[in-house]
Amino acid sequence: MSLQNLILNLHHYWADRGCYLAPSYDVEVGAGTMTPDTFFRVLGPRPWKVAYVQPSRRPTDGRYGENPNRVQKHHQYQVIIKPSPMDIQQLYIDSLVALGIRLEDHDLRFDEDNWESPTIGAWGVGWQVLLDGLEITQFTYFQQAGGIDLSPVSAEITYGLERLEMFLEEKDDIYDLDWSNDVSYRDLRMDEEKQFSEYNFERADTAQLRQAFDAAEREAAALIARNLLLPAYDMCLKCSHNFNLLDARRAVSVTERVKMIARIRALVTDIAGRTVAPRGDA
Amino acid sequence: MECLLEIMTEEMPASHVTSAMDQMKERMGKELAAAGIPSVRLDVFGTSRRLAVAVEITAGQEDAEEWVTGPPKSVGLRPDGSYSPAALGFARSQGIAPEILEVTTTARGEYLGFKRVRKGRSAAEILQDIVPRIVGSLAFPKTMRWAGGSFRFSRPIHGLLGLLDGQRLPIRLPEGTESKPFTTGHRIFDRRRVTPKTIAEYFDLLKEHGVIVDPDERRKMILNQIEEQLSPLDAKIHPDPELLEKLVYGVEYPCVVIGGFPEAFLKLPLDVLSTAMREGQNVFSVVRGRKQLPHFVAVADALKDGKNLIRKGNERVLKARLEDARFFWEQDRKVPLVRRAAELKNVVYQEKLGSYEDKVQRLKKIVAYLWDKVGPASGRDHVLEAAALCKADLLTEMVKEFPSLQGRMGGLYARNEGRPGPVAQAVFEHYQPVGPDDESPASLPGAVLSLADKVDALVGAVGIGVQVTGSSDPYGLRRNAHGVCRIILDKKFRFSFGRLIDKVLSVYGDRITLDPREVKARCLEFFSGRLRHLFELMGFRYDLVNAALAPGIDGIYDAYLRVKALDGLRSGSQFEPFILMVKRINNILRDQIAAKPNPDLFSEKEERDLHAAFLAVLNNVLPMIAKGDYARAQNIIFKLQPCLTAFFDKVLIMDEDKKIRRNRLGLLKSIRDLLEKVADYTLIVVD
Repeated sequence: MSLQNLILNLHHYWADRGCYLAPSYDVEVGAGTMTPDTFFRVLGPRPWKVAYVQPSRRPTDGRYGENPNRVQKHHQYQVIIKPSPMDIQQLYIDSLVALGIRLEDHDLRFDEDNWESPTIGAWGVGWQVLLDGLEITQFTYFQQAGGIDLSPVSAEITYGLERLEMFLEEKDDIYDLDWSNDVSYRDLRMDEEKQFSEYNFERADTAQLRQAFDAAEREAAALIARNLLLPAYDMCLKCSHNFNLLDARRAVSVTERVKMIARIRALVTDIAGRTVAPRGDA
Repeated sequence: MECLLEIMTEEMPASHVTSAMDQMKERMGKELAAAGIPSVRLDVFGTSRRLAVAVEITAGQEDAEEWVTGPPKSVGLRPDGSYSPAALGFARSQGIAPEILEVTTTARGEYLGFKRVRKGRSAAEILQDIVPRIVGSLAFPKTMRWAGGSFRFSRPIHGLLGLLDGQRLPIRLPEGTESKPFTTGHRIFDRRRVTPKTIAEYFDLLKEHGVIVDPDERRKMILNQIEEQLSPLDAKIHPDPELLEKLVYGVEYPCVVIGGFPEAFLKLPLDVLSTAMREGQNVFSVVRGRKQLPHFVAVADALKDGKNLIRKGNERVLKARLEDARFFWEQDRKVPLVRRAAELKNVVYQEKLGSYEDKVQRLKKIVAYLWDKVGPASGRDHVLEAAALCKADLLTEMVKEFPSLQGRMGGLYARNEGRPGPVAQAVFEHYQPVGPDDESPASLPGAVLSLADKVDALVGAVGIGVQVTGSSDPYGLRRNAHGVCRIILDKKFRFSFGRLIDKVLSVYGDRITLDPREVKARCLEFFSGRLRHLFELMGFRYDLVNAALAPGIDGIYDAYLRVKALDGLRSGSQFEPFILMVKRINNILRDQIAAKPNPDLFSEKEERDLHAAFLAVLNNVLPMIAKGDYARAQNIIFKLQPCLTAFFDKVLIMDEDKKIRRNRLGLLKSIRDLLEKVADYTLIVVD
């Protein structure tokens, strides 16, 4: 099964279970959790079911295309169901069966792994799902986002598409994967990995990134004051990506790192608070 | 009667399962005993998804008679024998006819009342009451909510099997789960219902449905399968009890799978290999003698690996991990440790206590001070070099990936750079002992560096106001102090611990926010507590420990020598009479003014004898104490006993002449002052 068939299968499976299939978000994010389709929708009481593919950028994971397992951009398949149904684990297991995995021939494990993202003030309890020792999914019951206790609790399932595909194709090298019958992962992504690794580690202009971080932060604050919370949140995502690039350039000291993350979190927490309890115009 | 309960959940962490089992066993036992139906047998079991309790009880509560007291007779009965409104009201409130009231005589006078038979509650009623309470009160290291509920548990609860003598025992858990007379089998292999009638059937049926409920049985299965599969290879797993327990509770049906990896990876250091296997992938490394083999042992949650897919999958993942490790090992070695050490100024150690560069500068001063106390003339340069380099590995990719390799990686990289052996070893060992089962550093430079690292951390934390209370110890100060004590005892270090703290405080200077005297006092008190704990763990009697700690812990090793000496002497015939004598001395000195003894004022033979004996003992004993030979010192001190007995028998201590009285008390006080260098004997318990 090619990677795109894997995506199609998951789309069918989750659409059949009532999920709205969202387009991928068009601002750089480090994980599917950070897009508005997750962040805003896990807040508040309203039920929500969504599934989407999210390209996820982690500049420090770049390896110039030379590592068979690590890439600076990978693809997550993100599912959010709120409130978390009692059979969510079984739904997940059935999704693997729907992909043609005969689980009775394998070792499927739910291994404790509590997820947290200090940048968006979020954490949850759950597992990394291991299939024959390979981490294929992060499974989380969201307890808090934007510093707010969530009720009801959402279940989040994040499949690592490349990992899962490597398992399905029994391949050791990510670049050997088939995206479609004709297009390999190498065709599609090798140049991108090489060029972006060089950009992330060597060329990104750190002075400009700092300015961009500060500018996005200022703009987020200004937008929050006008109750334009969705664009304000986009600005926070830009801050986060600029920060990740600075980090890849090793331009952030440990103390500074904590401070920059706290700056983003302060904005995100403010946005979350106003989303849950709207305030009048400032 | 037998009762069987099983809570079915989503996968809980191993530590949660074992902790919950312990709590359920303890609370169930207590609650049943409190309800008057002690259990004959009470066992707990657990898997990653199940917490089970099997109880045998004799029966429910028996009926009991009780006397219900009403108003006094004088208030309740009118002179004509009719009931007053007070008596009628009491009868009404109790739901009885007033005619039933009788008069009884109590200690406080005559009262109206009646006898009531309180019906014993049945076993079912009692269990229905206590089980939800116990489940609701289980504590976990981290809890969660799920769906729309506010109930917190380790993971979502899915079901409750409740049986009493083969019948469904109706119970409702706090979050709403109703008990059922059935459970289900393994989530992958056999999800059918399992309806046991007895405890024995529960185990048998679940085994048929792919679940081994008893952790002891799973542990045995794992160890047997490992033995079976490794003995043809003449190999064993590298023992790792912690990983074994994690795996025992991580599966419902254990299946041991042996896999291999390319031999080329054996060039990686053993520490890297085994850490990548254990922490990265929860598999055991395989050794023949002390030689690492290119194999691993995984424990799968599976009935069998018939198609070898589990093995192949794990091999692929491990190979990728080892490739990563090899990449780190190669990349890290391109940058010499000195250059990394220069970057430590950018790494925060603790906000108030500065960067790791600041820490390294402190360590250099502290190890220099310590080396001069316990080390030989040579080797000082080595320990200083080790201090300068020891934190550099925090900036290596390997330690970022596997934090537990900190220190060890630095040592390996230092050796690889061709630094002197003692330097590399000291860096390698400087976090040891990491836990209670870990060994202290083998080398002297390693021990000195580890001590400096730990004492610096402790004094710094206490100096900025960190407090250790109950279960809260965010800086790991207890473990740290334990490590310090272990190293000092293992290496038999004898130096003034108080002055070491002074030294560390002066090295910190202004960074410490509290008053340094206060910090020192808190540190000594904290260490005294840890040392008491450690000595009791070693099996010394608590009163001997208290007695040995009373002279202070300025010499931590001396405190150990003192408690060991007391422990060795306590069974001797001289011990108890001597303790009683010391208590007598202590009593007589209480609230009295004593003078420095003046031999010219002695008039009786017995007091002259005692004084002479004391001086002789003193001259002999002081050098022994200085050398730490407390057992011999103590044996010589026993020789005062006959003179002391004679003194107490023949000499009137409380003489009317103030001078003579104070002189005699002074003699006793000198003796007590000497004794206090060895132990506070008054704290020792004598039958």
